Amino acid sequence: MSYEWLTLAGYWNDFVRAAWLTLQITLLAFILAMLLGLLTALASASRAGLLRAIASVYIEAIRNTPVLLQIFIVFFGLPSLGITLNAYTAGVIALGVNVGAYLAEVFRAGIQSVPRGQLEAASILGLGRSQVFVEVVLPQAARAVYPAIVNNLIQLLLGTSLLSAIALPELSGTATVINARTLLYIQTFTITLIAYLVLSGVLSWVAGEIGTRVFHPPLVLKKRPRRLLFIARQTDRT
Amino acid sequence: MSSELLMTSLAILIQGLVATLLLSAASIVGGTLIGLLAAVLRSFGPWGTPRIARLYTELFRGTPVLITLMFIYFGVSYFGYAIDVFAAGVVGLSVYQGAYIAEVFRSGIEAVPKGQWEVSQILGLSKTQAFFSVALPQTGKIVMPPLIGQYLSLIKDTSIVSMIGMSELMHAGQAIVDRVGKPVEIYGLVAVLYFVVCFPLSQWVRHHDRRRSLLS
Amino acid sequence: MTSTTPIAAARPIINLTGVSKSFGATQVLKEINLDVRPGEVLVLIGASGSGKSTVLRIMSGLETADAGEVWVNEVPLHDARRAKEIRGHVGMVFQQFNLFPHKTALGNVTLALIKARKMSQTDARKRAIDALDRVGLADRADHYPSQLSGGQQQRVAIARALAVEPGIMFFDEATSALDPELVGEVTEVMRGLARDGMTMVVVTHEMGFARKTADRVVFMDKGVIAEQGAPEDIFVNPQNERTRQFLHRVLDH
Repeated sequence: MSYEWLTLAGYWNDFVRAAWLTLQITLLAFILAMLLGLLTALASASRAGLLRAIASVYIEAIRNTPVLLQIFIVFFGLPSLGITLNAYTAGVIALGVNVGAYLAEVFRAGIQSVPRGQLEAASILGLGRSQVFVEVVLPQAARAVYPAIVNNLIQLLLGTSLLSAIALPELSGTATVINARTLLYIQTFTITLIAYLVLSGVLSWVAGEIGTRVFHPPLVLKKRPRRLLFIARQTDRT
Repeated sequence: MSSELLMTSLAILIQGLVATLLLSAASIVGGTLIGLLAAVLRSFGPWGTPRIARLYTELFRGTPVLITLMFIYFGVSYFGYAIDVFAAGVVGLSVYQGAYIAEVFRSGIEAVPKGQWEVSQILGLSKTQAFFSVALPQTGKIVMPPLIGQYLSLIKDTSIVSMIGMSELMHAGQAIVDRVGKPVEIYGLVAVLYFVVCFPLSQWVRHHDRRRSLLS
Repeated sequence: MTSTTPIAAARPIINLTGVSKSFGATQVLKEINLDVRPGEVLVLIGASGSGKSTVLRIMSGLETADAGEVWVNEVPLHDARRAKEIRGHVGMVFQQFNLFPHKTALGNVTLALIKARKMSQTDARKRAIDALDRVGLADRADHYPSQLSGGQQQRVAIARALAVEPGIMFFDEATSALDPELVGEVTEVMRGLARDGMTMVVVTHEMGFARKTADRVVFMDKGVIAEQGAPEDIFVNPQNERTRQFLHRVLDH
């Protein structure tokens, strides 16, 4: 058994390169997704019916079709419309466009979650409409949506695995190749699983740290598992 | 695109769609059972099972379903057994979505006010009775929209099983494009088919999801 | 009586004439006529649904009347084009405090001064500290609302409203969301404002406050002013049957 793990050790560099590529794509696609999400959320809330319609079509088209299909459409479909992309760019675009639609919903809900009383208090104090939005609504909405945004970032990371279907040498694609060469299924995929766990763990941790520093008061992103005890003792009540 | 091509393509795609729906149905059942079990163990389980349940959900929510599928499909043959793609797909999707479904059930269980448990205990109900007669009915309304939402994700995720060779809708589309080209038209058709299945569900979820807070 | 100087028998600072308001099918206010004089402390009492909060919100510009004229501090709120002028010149304290959670107490008070009044950081800070001092919370300036008790949060809300130097202060059930033992610290601050001659319109369930601090009490019932007068008259010798019933329900448990 150990001989087989040692063989895989020879592929260490490939794994690291693949992980790095995965991270790059994740971050680039995420930036695109944030931009698209914000623009779409603003469009959804605009008074122009056309903008609202476009936003709606975009969101529904993305959310009701599989991301794998969207990747294929970008990579295989665009060339017949005259746009040829390499796998890397196609991957970033497809994933960015996909997650952007989900982020749009997140942003919209976040803005709506700010209580009306906040708007009333701000306007009575004399703040104008755009000031109310920037100084009062946005900071509170941002804080409200932060956990959901982090979740979507992790989903994006996991979504990069599908880019192996367009022959991109990210983590899953590399694993498949190594698997085909060594036929060490269990070992290869175990290492791949661990790699993804490490990547998602690190991203979550960094996001958590940013959360505590950027927001006032500090936003703590802990997911404490709460054990629901059937109440046995009165003293258990905290 | 000629109507001939359209007709033949549609015929093949519809076949694929049927396979997709079968796979979805089986995985929905599997995923719900696993998710329910995991959620119950997490909240009420004895000695160490809550931790196992938690590790399970964190494992499958932090890794891509593709790798899980490959693990199952190739890994099984490593041990000398054969497994067909459909079974691998069902197991893989059930286990993967089960982790997310478990979280949906868990927040449903935790949404039941603490007072309900206390009242049940004082009235003399056992844990099981309290769960089924008091808690479950109350979680129903809260849990349904996100649950249907997960089912929706599951249906879309069946497309990933095409990558280990199952001929469902996505795979059927790829096969046609490999033969005749025209990716925009064919994949567009595939998209329409997925849309027709998913849209009613997503509209239902959107309609019923008013109450849920952003951070539940 | 609260003020040592007599209330100026001058022109009313607030004037409602024939004000009506409906929400959907329900008519909440029926042709209300009401004046408030400068320096007067007017307390509105009544059951829920009587329209007292709506009157307050119309006076502060948060709601618009369907019919009638509303003059507040020389601003015609019934005129859609000019209604905005009232902003920043009246203060409002809400039942739910509505403090900005992402800002400290000091930040809450300075926000409008810096952004709307365009004051410099130093001037705004100074005025904010003074306002916080007036409500007894200058030492908590760097605390976030989540670190303050309900009574403290409401006092910060009062300081925030005072800092823009409003001509009128509106209080919409300012103590209803507070634990009983915290009500006193807020009503104490409100009494202080009354002593200093601030024009105040207060909607409250705190009858003690109404009795001791009001110059005039207005009892509202089902969208109309059923009775109004000096606190002694209303509380000791109510003329209207509805007033009697209400006071009986509220005061004698």
